[in-house]
Amino acid sequence: MATTVIMPKLGLTMKEGTIEKWLKQEGDRVEKGEPLVEIITEKLNFQYESPASGILRKILHPEGKVVPVTTPIAIIAEEGEALPEFEAIQSEVPIEAPMPAAAAQGEIKEHRERIFASPFARKTAQEKGIDLSLLKGSGPGGRIIQTDVISAVERVQTEGAKPSVPPQKPADKLIPLKGIRKIIAQRMTESFRDTPHFYLSVEVDMSAVQDLKERVKDEVEKRAKVRLTLTDILVKVVARALKEHPIMNSRFEGDQIRLLEEINVGVAIALDDGLIVPVVHHADQKSLTEIASVIRNLTRRARRGKLTLEDVGGGTFTLSNMGMLGIDKINPIINPPECSILGVGRTVEKPVVQGGEIKIKPMAWFSLSSDHRIVDGAAAGLFLNHIHKIIENPDLLLV
Amino acid sequence: MKSSVSTREMRRLYRTMVTIRKFETLAGELFAAGKIPGFIHLSIGQEASSVGVCSVLRPDDYIATTHRGHGHVIAKGGDLKKMIAELIGRKTGYCKGKGGSMHIADFSLGILGANGVVGGGFPIIIGAGLSIKLRHTDQVAVCFFGDGASNRGTFHEAMNMASIWKLPILFVCENNCYASTTPTSYACSVTNIAARAAGYNIPGVTVDGNDILAVREAAGKAVDRARRGEGPTLLENKTYRRRGHFEGDPQKYRTRAEVAEWEKNDPLLRFASVLKKKKLLTGEMEKEMQEGIAKELKEALAFAEQSEWPAPEEALEDMFINP
Amino acid sequence: MPERMISCAVAICEALTEEMARDEAIFIIGEDLVAHGGIFGQFKGLPERFPGRVIDSPISESCIVGAGLGAALTGMRPLVDMHFADFVTCAMDEIVNQTAKIRYMFGGQVKVPLVIWAPDGAGLSAAAHHSQSLESWFIHAPGLKVVVPSEPADVKGLLKAAIRDDDPVIFFQHKKLFAREGPVPEGEHIVPLGKAAVKRPGGSVTILTYGSGFYMSMEAANELAGMGIEAEVIDLRTLKPLDFETIADSIKKTNRAVVVHEACLSGGFGAEVSARINSELFDYLDAPVLRVAAKDVPIPFSPRLENFVLPKVEDVIKAVRQVTYR
Repeated sequence: MATTVIMPKLGLTMKEGTIEKWLKQEGDRVEKGEPLVEIITEKLNFQYESPASGILRKILHPEGKVVPVTTPIAIIAEEGEALPEFEAIQSEVPIEAPMPAAAAQGEIKEHRERIFASPFARKTAQEKGIDLSLLKGSGPGGRIIQTDVISAVERVQTEGAKPSVPPQKPADKLIPLKGIRKIIAQRMTESFRDTPHFYLSVEVDMSAVQDLKERVKDEVEKRAKVRLTLTDILVKVVARALKEHPIMNSRFEGDQIRLLEEINVGVAIALDDGLIVPVVHHADQKSLTEIASVIRNLTRRARRGKLTLEDVGGGTFTLSNMGMLGIDKINPIINPPECSILGVGRTVEKPVVQGGEIKIKPMAWFSLSSDHRIVDGAAAGLFLNHIHKIIENPDLLLV
Repeated sequence: MKSSVSTREMRRLYRTMVTIRKFETLAGELFAAGKIPGFIHLSIGQEASSVGVCSVLRPDDYIATTHRGHGHVIAKGGDLKKMIAELIGRKTGYCKGKGGSMHIADFSLGILGANGVVGGGFPIIIGAGLSIKLRHTDQVAVCFFGDGASNRGTFHEAMNMASIWKLPILFVCENNCYASTTPTSYACSVTNIAARAAGYNIPGVTVDGNDILAVREAAGKAVDRARRGEGPTLLENKTYRRRGHFEGDPQKYRTRAEVAEWEKNDPLLRFASVLKKKKLLTGEMEKEMQEGIAKELKEALAFAEQSEWPAPEEALEDMFINP
Repeated sequence: MPERMISCAVAICEALTEEMARDEAIFIIGEDLVAHGGIFGQFKGLPERFPGRVIDSPISESCIVGAGLGAALTGMRPLVDMHFADFVTCAMDEIVNQTAKIRYMFGGQVKVPLVIWAPDGAGLSAAAHHSQSLESWFIHAPGLKVVVPSEPADVKGLLKAAIRDDDPVIFFQHKKLFAREGPVPEGEHIVPLGKAAVKRPGGSVTILTYGSGFYMSMEAANELAGMGIEAEVIDLRTLKPLDFETIADSIKKTNRAVVVHEACLSGGFGAEVSARINSELFDYLDAPVLRVAAKDVPIPFSPRLENFVLPKVEDVIKAVRQVTYR
């Protein structure tokens, strides 16, 4: 009996997935449980295992296709078995198809077969040797009209370049937008556009935390088998502060604000192909050792592309530590649908005035981006202040 | 009046009727042989009406005729060569091939054209009558039409207008019992179309339309009236259409018996008998007449068939005088 | 020649007086002409001046046109007054089947020097049966010439030309324009049939119009000038035969056209002109040809309704702005 493989729903909110790579080809034998196809969702790459054994008789959607969940994507059956009929087998132009060179102006143009231009504009363009496909029409519906052609002629005349040949640059490298990059592009655009961000910053004296790190790192290493980092400590501090400022651990839901029960702090990790944010669940309940262990595990698996949906799901706050990249300050974009994100810059020895005296202290900038629909400056300020306090006096974690 | 028709005229009357009969018969044969495109409507059986009326007209008098108008045109002096040429669509035809059977005209003979629209002649004849009056001549204008046309609005408008202005018009209704497939007895509110004249304060006269001398006499009186400026007359010639409405008409609306009955009432036979009784027409004369007419028709047909077809581009000519 | 200001009604009278004095074959026939010189006073003084040559007729449109036609076929040069253009429908056979076709059908044997004169147009709350603009029907009847002047000088000049033309002419005249005054030259003034006039030169857009549309277009052109758009307004004057050369010269210059007429949109003369421009001047067009016309409904009575239906100056401005992309 033939088995129809459908786009699986891999998470609560998943609506569609991108077929990143078929791991088996049509005609291959596949066993139940064997990885069949790589799927990218909003959050990560996922290797989907075959739900049945048999021959992969038909692949219904090609690599790069974005498919809604529960849509049939393949058929597994034995040799010679009758296959069910599907309509959507026609191949459409995949959205990630390489862009034609003429459109490499930084815009992504839709693939068009017809150029809409008025007859007179066409005639003039022909006479003057203007390539209509390079023009943007200012008429209704993007119609190229006479003034567009005349402007192009004038531009050519002032630039002195040959109008009929597209501008020659030394070979540009093209990176098709797909996979994680595409998803990040989408999500960050949404966040930046739809969420009204505001930014608060404070310079924090890191000496106390540095001291703490010195004092406990050996113990942590012994238990977790990993080295303690500043990030681990930051996660603990942030989790504590979130506990006491629940409004910062929330989500905007249109007509209500949801204060989340769990405190799951995401830690931004830079991979080769993009940013990923694995999550330390219940960070408020974890010890430094546990946090360190979890984070190191997540990082390792992230680097190997082995993160699960669970690893990246459920985050309520994100921490972005840019210190190791030598950056002083970052105003990060909120990771939707969270309320807030904390960006931490590098620790630098600086002269500061404390108690009327100039002292050299290790200072770092802490920058908090927040969703103004949920919180105002005061609430966010109190939260950041609290973090500041704990950092400069970690003993407060015991209180 | 009958006695005062000259012998010459009597023979001429007969000869004209025979010419029409033979012409129509020939047209029927040509049509059956596929030589006439479109359709034709023959007036066989109605010769006395055409000839009787036209015999009292002058060359400068006007007539308006109908789709069944070959007889009127011949009676008014039309050229047989140009008629046949027009029927078969040659450029030597009356209308250079642009009109055909239903639109023959000869303005030099006062024939203001045959009309394809039933009742289309009335308004035109009003104009001709008005023109005569405004120019102060004693011409007369005659409108030939059928029983069916007398039900059209244009008939009633024209009757009223001709009456109020006392136009020199003779309305000649050839009541041949059928308007296409519809019997007059069904479609007309009166038995005698002439009765309608009273409604317009015009004299109306019903005549045995197959009695050529009766037609001629009644027409003569009406024409004289008109020339004297006394106004229009409605003349109803009761006759019968022996062939179908058009050639090829299956004629399911009437019986063969009826047609056969009317054949006995043939205007040619009746007049020939009158002539023979008066010893004005011998068998010899008749034979000679028939042969003479046949020869004329033969020559006319030869002329037509040897004539050129119009060039296709000629279709764009003759619309405006000043294009 | 010095020009004086006279109304269209006076221009008609002048034209007819001059022509009827010149040629005895000319007479006028129609309803209600004698008592008041026509319902718009368009024939004022003529019945007295030319006794017996202005003829009142009964209400018999078929035979009124027929009277004109029959007389034209037998040596006269009549002018038929249709009373209101809307009543052409009562004489369609005589106009379209007879008058238009007789010369052609009979192989050119005869000429038909007939003028059918009809006051048309809306804007006076005269409602559906007394307000139509029907000129486009007659474009579609080969054999007729169609004239629709707007200014008094053209009314006079074209009427004289129509009367002198040996072919049948149907002559529409907007009833609102009877009172409208304009400069008319003294003396003999004839405007040839088949010639359009560029009444306002301009380089931004070609406005093709006639009849009442002309005044709307000129007003629009003035307003547009304030926006830096110089409209070239062409008064077509004769719709058939159409002076396409003048139209082409203009569109080759402006690359865009708007047709303005009071007749309703569908199947109006604008459709004919647009189609022709499309086929013959396609490569010169920087924008589609737009038409400004009345909405496709019978003309309603109540002034607000009528006003809504009829094309207005702002419609012309809007169309011009569309084709000039401003």
